[in-house]
Amino acid sequence: MTETDEPTGPPVTLIDAIDMSKLDPKFREEIKSMPNGEELSACFACSTCTAACPTANMWKYKPHQLIRMILLGMREEVLSSNEIWLCLTCYECQERCPQKVRVTDIFFDCKNLAAEEGKIPVNVLALAKELLTKGQLYTVTADWEREDMGLEPEVPGLSVDAVKTILKDTRTKKLVGGEE
Amino acid sequence: MTTYNLYIGCSVPVNYPNYEAAMLKVAQAFDMELIYLEDVACCGSPNLRAFDHMGWMTVNARTLAIADKNGYDIVTPCNGCFASLKDVYHHLKHDDETRTKINKILKKEGLEFKGTAKPRHFVEALYNDIGIDEIKKKITKPLDGVGIAIHYGCHLLRPADVTEFKPEYLQELVEATGASVVEYPLWKQCCGATVLPVDEDLAIRLARDKLKSMKEAGAVFVTVVCPACGNQLDLQQLGLKESYGEIYNLPVLAYPQILGLALGLDEEDVGLSMNRVPANPILDHLSD
Repeated sequence: MTETDEPTGPPVTLIDAIDMSKLDPKFREEIKSMPNGEELSACFACSTCTAACPTANMWKYKPHQLIRMILLGMREEVLSSNEIWLCLTCYECQERCPQKVRVTDIFFDCKNLAAEEGKIPVNVLALAKELLTKGQLYTVTADWEREDMGLEPEVPGLSVDAVKTILKDTRTKKLVGGEE
Repeated sequence: MTTYNLYIGCSVPVNYPNYEAAMLKVAQAFDMELIYLEDVACCGSPNLRAFDHMGWMTVNARTLAIADKNGYDIVTPCNGCFASLKDVYHHLKHDDETRTKINKILKKEGLEFKGTAKPRHFVEALYNDIGIDEIKKKITKPLDGVGIAIHYGCHLLRPADVTEFKPEYLQELVEATGASVVEYPLWKQCCGATVLPVDEDLAIRLARDKLKSMKEAGAVFVTVVCPACGNQLDLQQLGLKESYGEIYNLPVLAYPQILGLALGLDEEDVGLSMNRVPANPILDHLSD
């Protein structure tokens, strides 16, 4: 587990009460209907996922809490949380879940729902723009290095148009909007 | 001779032409014919998956469908590409509804995902198709037992039901070169590369944790099979000198560079001079 800064006060043992009127009871069904949500309600809150996470000690909402929040219907809090974007996607949590909940994959689904509502970190949005306009994440800047190794200067076989064409009809275009 | 489709991605050819060249030469040594897939797209991983699931599925299904045309398995040297292709392959194999939907889109280009060409990591193909015995037979300059720490990379190992990669594959491949594998506590942990766009400090801290754990366990070299992990562990060592005042001096080599040297290739063949932390000390550990 990665080191954290020195604690500034006593550990928080009391949390704010959940406002029942703000819960969205359909949220769990929404996640369950997505590609990785089938086992969601099997979670029995053992927090093994949190114990396995290398960075959860820095998170306000831990992985097991996020899963519980989904089950409770705390849609707004989950989709607005930084945590879903801070997830390393290392799959340590999912791999250890005794109930086979696809924790990491569910966070991917949450990010998609958040993005649909325009909630996406600036630097991730920049990558979306890069993919839509350039059709690739990395571009060759030092082709002499490739030539030194006896390789052709451009990335072999790469079609940038394919990505651009496909992403024009999907959410990426909507996210980037008129900025391309 | 076995033929494979090669999906090179965009990070290896841009950031690690030495990894690419070493892989091609190692493949040649074992009679593996690698054909670069033509007209394929960047996998977008894992960022694209995070904000545009359908776009990510389509882009990768298209690559799989192009490989289906000749039916040869796909090999890739990148964990990110491997994860995207393997994950999408897994989804399409198990989800008829999505497969129909995606195939409708691909039909516009005259393509169809059939699932005949399987996406595989290059090192897994080395292990399962060539095999440790054959590899050992061709080693002419074995390493002298020097300690190498393996950084597998998350997306090679997990989720295991999707990746189907076992840690012992890479462990035995490293041992086949004559090196010894250094076990270290954080062997399964993430290098931090994926979180770079959202929290750079955290990414650096994770790389530091890894390097520290390897160094303390007595590793002399590190091996990787992913350009993103390679970048984190190799290049970040220069940054750690500035941010933490720490010098790790742990050369990070792509596995085909190590195997290539043990097969008798010279340092130019595997592009040793392009490694950020000078990797030439490994030459002192090769027997003649």
